[in-house]
Amino acid sequence: MKYSVLLIAVLLLATAFIAGCTQQAPAKEIKVGVIASLTGPASNVGKNMWQSAQVAADEINAKGGVSFKDGSKVPLKLIVGDDESTQQGGQKAATQLITGDKVDILVGGYSSAVTSAYEQTVAEFKVPFVVTGASSPIITHRPDIDTSCIFHHCPTTDSYGQYTTTFIDQVVRPAVNKKLGAAADRPFRLALIYQDTGFGKGVQTAVNNTITKEKLNIQLVSQQSFKMGESDFRTPLTAIKAAKPDAVYIAAFPNEGAPLITQARRDIGLDTIFLSVENNDNPQFYKDLGQYGEGSIIESRFSPYTAPAGALADAQAKFKNSYYAKYGVYPDMMGASTYEGIYIAAQAIGNAGTTDKAAVKQALVDLTMPQIIEAMKGGTIAFSKDFRESRFDLWMEQLAFNQTIGESRPNIVWPDNLKVVDFVLPSWYKPGSA
Amino acid sequence: MVDFGILMQIVFWGVYAGCIYILLATGLNLIFGVMKVVNFAHGEFLMIGAYITATIFLLTGINPYAIILLSMLALIAIGAAVERLCFRPILGTGKLNEIFLSIGLIYIVQNGAAVIWGDEWQSIKSPYEGISVPIGSLNVPLDYIIIMVVTAGILVGLFLFLNRTRIGREMRATSQNRKGAMLVGIDVERMDILSFGIGCALAAGAGTLWVVSGQVFNPYMGSIPAVKAFAIIILGGLGSIPGAIVGGLIYGIAENGAAYYFGGIWKDAVSFIILIIVLVIRPTGLFGESGE
Amino acid sequence: MSELDLHLKRGELVRYGTFAVIGIAVVAPFLSGNLFILNVLILMLIFIIYSSAWNLLAYSGQGSLGHAAFFGIGAYASTLIATKSGITPYITIFLGAVVAAFIGILIGLTCVRLKEWFLAMVTFGFAIIVQTIMVSILTPITGGWDGIASPRLLSPDIPGYQLIEYYSILVITIGCILFIGYIMKSRIGLAFSAIRENELEAQAAGVDPIKYRLLAFALSAYFAGVAGALEISHIGYITPEIFGVDMSFWPITYVIFGGLGTLAGPIVGTIVLTIIWDGLKLFGLTFGRYIIVGVLLILVIIFLPKGLVDLPNEIQKRWNARREKRMKAGTGVVKE
Repeated sequence: MKYSVLLIAVLLLATAFIAGCTQQAPAKEIKVGVIASLTGPASNVGKNMWQSAQVAADEINAKGGVSFKDGSKVPLKLIVGDDESTQQGGQKAATQLITGDKVDILVGGYSSAVTSAYEQTVAEFKVPFVVTGASSPIITHRPDIDTSCIFHHCPTTDSYGQYTTTFIDQVVRPAVNKKLGAAADRPFRLALIYQDTGFGKGVQTAVNNTITKEKLNIQLVSQQSFKMGESDFRTPLTAIKAAKPDAVYIAAFPNEGAPLITQARRDIGLDTIFLSVENNDNPQFYKDLGQYGEGSIIESRFSPYTAPAGALADAQAKFKNSYYAKYGVYPDMMGASTYEGIYIAAQAIGNAGTTDKAAVKQALVDLTMPQIIEAMKGGTIAFSKDFRESRFDLWMEQLAFNQTIGESRPNIVWPDNLKVVDFVLPSWYKPGSA
Repeated sequence: MVDFGILMQIVFWGVYAGCIYILLATGLNLIFGVMKVVNFAHGEFLMIGAYITATIFLLTGINPYAIILLSMLALIAIGAAVERLCFRPILGTGKLNEIFLSIGLIYIVQNGAAVIWGDEWQSIKSPYEGISVPIGSLNVPLDYIIIMVVTAGILVGLFLFLNRTRIGREMRATSQNRKGAMLVGIDVERMDILSFGIGCALAAGAGTLWVVSGQVFNPYMGSIPAVKAFAIIILGGLGSIPGAIVGGLIYGIAENGAAYYFGGIWKDAVSFIILIIVLVIRPTGLFGESGE
Repeated sequence: MSELDLHLKRGELVRYGTFAVIGIAVVAPFLSGNLFILNVLILMLIFIIYSSAWNLLAYSGQGSLGHAAFFGIGAYASTLIATKSGITPYITIFLGAVVAAFIGILIGLTCVRLKEWFLAMVTFGFAIIVQTIMVSILTPITGGWDGIASPRLLSPDIPGYQLIEYYSILVITIGCILFIGYIMKSRIGLAFSAIRENELEAQAAGVDPIKYRLLAFALSAYFAGVAGALEISHIGYITPEIFGVDMSFWPITYVIFGGLGTLAGPIVGTIVLTIIWDGLKLFGLTFGRYIIVGVLLILVIIFLPKGLVDLPNEIQKRWNARREKRMKAGTGVVKE
């Protein structure tokens, strides 16, 4: 007992010194803090986000840096904070970035649970924060703290649910009615299977709300949930099949979505249209699905295998190639929005003419800039007045099986201003009851 | 009331999923029987077995069902090493120590695998992937049938080993009465290493079957099946093979039933609720002998 | 060589040492004036309480793998009481912990007849069950997966609130440690020890194992609840992730490392591992950190089973053993 007391004393001293070791570089540069999950279950996405941020920063600095109205340029310096996918890690990372590294602006944030843990520190120090990875609308809707400096540049579960449900109503429903030769007022039979987490439940809420609010002719015939990390979906799929749906909307991660669709088609014999959420749009998903992906839909904004025609396609290809050249793999959509987040930060600071946080925040409020690599509503990036959310132009892509590669490939089928081909019901498709 | 056809399907999926749990649980029972040690890190050996099979398959393209032997052999070696280095020194120092040691192993093995293979989800495709066999109203993929056959084969092999070979009989003797075994000249330390190795090999077999069936895997995938295997053997009674099989079946069906009626989130909780109820009534499990 | 005697005058050293520790803890925030170190220290203090709570239960021979259940229940209860009634978190922390203690007794009841592994699995299972209940049946009050905002100890409007928060938590931590230490040294602690060593003999000696097992659960759950409530009032937002396996495993790791069954063990273990963990981060290690912690844990279990606090004794033992060997092997000439 006696020695341990001394030991504790020494250790506390050591902690104080080690943790306090931070030096500020006095050079003239703009410090951007990037919060990402470099470790923990979200580390794939986190790495993507951090690396994409670096690609953006390199491009900006290659041109000299952030440009100000008086013609001067100041380079960007990125500082990363690993939130370790935990609340404690997030809080430590945020406090270090804000009070230790004294960053001028923050970009990043993925898990809503983790982000909500340090939001108040951000709010307290009034640091402008462009959230580029979290899909929960709560981030900017929090009733207990002042989120006026927090800007949400990432589609939320509200968007996923709303766009997908609208697509079903506008495109899938008429197609099924035509195939059945049914009357135009036949209600569409939709089944929902979702991950029992904030993400999945958020999508479920959004789908229900969209149907109610816009009085859509869609009937939710079955709503099944599964726990995160599940690998065997046959039981809920059996229940869904019994409800005879016309289509199944899946709110899951790719490691769940791919087995889900495979098991549905192969084992349960559920030959229907599956709609997946955008986070599934990555190469592994296509690989795991194989032929069973044929005909299914993904709601997306940034795909490894397709892009809306025109200038966006070139911009996306350029980004993907720069990323690939640097890291040997392709970026995903969280990386894409973080890439844009850095550009947004640079633009706002340039517009503000200063790194003063209040001015930068105002610049973000007033921001209007052309879309960069992802399609935005109206072709511009701007934050809504109420909850500071930017509006993405999400699209739907349908998968067609490519015999030579052995995998399916996407083609954009909606909305009309972005589409490449028409949506079709596959030959093996079986609708729900007539 | 539930449609009988649906019920049959749910039961069938339960049996297929049970194969992997049965292999895991048998391995745990073997290790416990001989060493009286419970290794909470057992799931990590399943994961390593899965990765070894996947890696060899991706490098050489050999039929994964054939690779299972290689994978199991590799894990006999790895398991033996772990036993020698980690469990042997703490044998007899208290049951809590074994639990804590396992936690350390979990940290090392999971993150070691992440360093070597990366932590993204991966999957491989079995060569028989698209083939299905119609049985009754179901269209059963050929792989599932092969998996059940392979599981049965491994279990039969194990049974023969334990009952027909000298080493196997020595192992059973050690598990029944360690001191007695020492008295008749059995090298119990060798039995320890061997049983641990074989236990891990069974886990590797389970891991191989996991990936062959096309399921996704990553370094953290071993924990959930292991926890379930634990619950199964505790339910069935530590050390009891028939108990493990009964427990596995009860679990498979109960889990799926709960998911069907209450929602997917209750799957894990139900497993533990059953476990807790059984343990409160019979603190040594369904078939367990009292006093461990 | 002279005999190594590290047993200095016990009373003096303990007294001076304790003052030194507290003194440093008081002064620590000023050694480097940024918020980050304050946050690290606060989280460390909270985990010291949490680890000590787990340690108390292990002291009675019950190694729980699901202590996150109590940590989280304390946090949720405190948050809900504070938001519904407006009472300051300074008080609701201790009220919320009562709820945790109550659940602890319930869980303890199912475990009274169980041996170590079974108890471990059951406690592990309860953490999962509690989380499932929180996100399904109790969603209307707990906000489900979205979680709810949690009132903070002090409003950020008060100037210097960070320091006040730190010192409040420091005082609470010292209070909890003193209380736990008192329990461990009292007859209750003796009873815990007796049950841990040999339950049958303890029973024969007149110690009622059931009563003390439940008491251990209640006390341990109480302090775990205090730690949880404290943590969430510091972070300001609670989500069901708080019941995760990680949260259950960290206190175990800290305590084993520092020394199971001692008062200083959890403290030492928490501090050392926090330093190692955050320190390794500076080197950019990600998965490597877990591997290193795992290796250290196994090394401690095998070579230093009583934990880091036992290090001086171990060194002393081996030094003296070597000295004895040399004296016996040598010609009797003692080198100085």
